[in-house]
Amino acid sequence: MSRVVWAAWRLGIATARGLAGRPLSQAATGASEGGGAEGGGGGSASREAVERLVRAHPVVVFMKGSPEQPLCGFSNAVVQILRLHGVEDYNAHDVLQDPDLRQGIKNYSNWPTIPQVYLNGEFVGGCDILLQMHQNGDLVEELKKLGIRSALLDAEKDQDKK
Amino acid sequence: RGFSSQSEGEARVSRVLREKFPRASSIRVVDISGGCGAMYEIHIESEDFREKRTVQQHQMVNQALSEEIKSMHGLRIFTSTPKP
Repeated sequence: MSRVVWAAWRLGIATARGLAGRPLSQAATGASEGGGAEGGGGGSASREAVERLVRAHPVVVFMKGSPEQPLCGFSNAVVQILRLHGVEDYNAHDVLQDPDLRQGIKNYSNWPTIPQVYLNGEFVGGCDILLQMHQNGDLVEELKKLGIRSALLDAEKDQDKK
Repeated sequence: RGFSSQSEGEARVSRVLREKFPRASSIRVVDISGGCGAMYEIHIESEDFREKRTVQQHQMVNQALSEEIKSMHGLRIFTSTPKP
């Protein structure tokens, strides 16, 4: 996403929420500010704001810390599993940087824990479910539906050649 | 590891699950936070989960434990259906 588009997107959300410069975590830039008093949301990001985030990219992850530096074992597991499949290009949101997003994403998915993985805007599950999908081959299939070829398919081919 | 006694937290979570899933054929709750009640691992096998996607099965457990989860730091859920 170009800087101009990103800035416009941020302003758009700020306007919608009636607050200027309200942060919603952006892992790409690493930019994050602490939470302040919330206007109308009572302390959690609105459904519309969360919806925009989950639809922004085929693979969106809400986690603790960043893919470069996960701050929780379960979040780390999600990052590692995606990496095994060669998926390094995704939107990751650090909920520790944004308490409103942390609560908002739980309200949105009606799921009490972090990390949360969204594929094509649809909530797939947390670390345990992603691990299960990885082990039973479902993750390779789901990635294929998104037009992403899992690196594990190529790894298998290499093994067959030997 | 001895299974001679269950922690209070494990017992409470088990009891809630038995109430909410009367059809469950197997329920196992393990405190994986070293007895602190901060993190649990839940294994539950029930007909209630048949034909449902994993995330839906886990949602059912989340709903059943919504009160208990508030005081937890985290939980792991493993659902299954009995062999027909």
